Amino acid sequence: MAKDMTLLWGSGSPPCWRIMIALEEKNLQGYNQKLLSFEKGEHKSKEVMEINPRGQLPAFKCGDKIINESCGVCFFLESKYKSQGTKLIPDCDAEQALMFQRVFEVNTFGDKMGNVIYYNWKVPEGERHDSAIKRNKEALTAEVKLWEGYLQKTSGGFLAGKNFSLADVIVFPAIAYLYRFGLSEERYPKLTEYYKNLMNRPSIKATWPPTWKETPGQDILKDI
Amino acid sequence: MKECIKIRGIRQRDVKTVPVLPPRLTSETMAKDMTLWWGSGSPPCWRVLIALEEKNLQGYNQKLLSFEKGEHKSKEVMDVNPRGQLPAFKFGDIVINESYGACFFLESKFKSQGTKLIPDCAGSDNNCALIALIMQRVFEGNTLHQKMADVFMYNRRVPENERHESAFKRLKETLTTELQMWEGHLKKTPGGFLAGENFSMADVIVFPSVALLLRMGLSEDKYPKLAEYYKKLQGRPSVKATWPPTWKETPGQELLKDI
Repeated sequence: MAKDMTLLWGSGSPPCWRIMIALEEKNLQGYNQKLLSFEKGEHKSKEVMEINPRGQLPAFKCGDKIINESCGVCFFLESKYKSQGTKLIPDCDAEQALMFQRVFEVNTFGDKMGNVIYYNWKVPEGERHDSAIKRNKEALTAEVKLWEGYLQKTSGGFLAGKNFSLADVIVFPAIAYLYRFGLSEERYPKLTEYYKNLMNRPSIKATWPPTWKETPGQDILKDI
Repeated sequence: MKECIKIRGIRQRDVKTVPVLPPRLTSETMAKDMTLWWGSGSPPCWRVLIALEEKNLQGYNQKLLSFEKGEHKSKEVMDVNPRGQLPAFKFGDIVINESYGACFFLESKFKSQGTKLIPDCAGSDNNCALIALIMQRVFEGNTLHQKMADVFMYNRRVPENERHESAFKRLKETLTTELQMWEGHLKKTPGGFLAGENFSMADVIVFPSVALLLRMGLSEDKYPKLAEYYKKLQGRPSVKATWPPTWKETPGQELLKDI
């Protein structure tokens, strides 16, 4: 089963990390994997393009089935392996609905984070504006405050309540990314508590980005 | 709330109690517990409308609001969705303001009624392959919607002094590449729907975006497969029933004719 699976991934990339956490949680250790380097442009290599014509990571194969969308893989794995490992989709209506809400909010969260962290990479020099940089930072600040609020209002320690769910699989890597890039731990106590709590979860420890262990983070987000 | 009715037997010792159960919750009753706040022509809103129809949940409460008048920022919407965006969706105490989230939740809760939008995986290899393709297209739908929004909303999102012809040109080129990819997806997938022979969650999510492309002037000659898909699904009951009212009243635009 796991041996039929192959994941091409990059260290630290939240979409790649989501799949790795899901594979661990569903007891699918033993999958084939290849760590590639974004810096070296390996995500545009022939090997990746053959699986993912978009030249993006993650690229994922299960037998002859290909899914290159991280959330798609997570939902697929939960569906196919529903009866093994951690139950990632809660049965209770309220918890399940909240899980879906948080899962799909990750897109806007990721976008706003990317607009700040990767501004210079996304925007050619002649098109950059301080006003845009400022606006992007304000948008990210508002977004982070929103998630801090979610964790304040939701008791149980996880994003959808008292059980670890797909919401944590999918959103935790984005939250960890914030801290890697210097988010202030003191300013967002609930987020920090969540981050530190989940850091110790076996599936997350086992899949912690290798490059993060080797090099220090950055402080782009220290004023957010 | 259970009430117990005492039935008197002939002798005092035979007094029995029979629980009276609440009326069975039909999906009709449950639909009446649902409210959708939406805007005409917005693909995210349209997705939820299509899903509700496909799952036989007609009878939900709905309120059509106007983006132009800023009604998506009204107190009524903010009370349900602090982001001030549409769709906003309530089901009893449950709130889901993400269109994908609402569609997935409806499929999960009403799995056994209406159209099956995501097959069950267990035990069937064919179904597993189908689920994989559905998930791939569903989530690629996000990328498609984003690239469309980057072009359509350019002037609304970017203040005048920050706009650049070069940026807008690049966004249009990115959208063109994306559309060519979807044209290719449809060429390679026989059956007429995004995931093959059957209507699925992929169509619920992506069709509204395709419809918007055509509404905004996409060339049917340049994208024959997309046009064919559009025309095929236009006739589907759930799509007809939820066709954006403003689109019936006014002509489309030509923004995308050169894409």
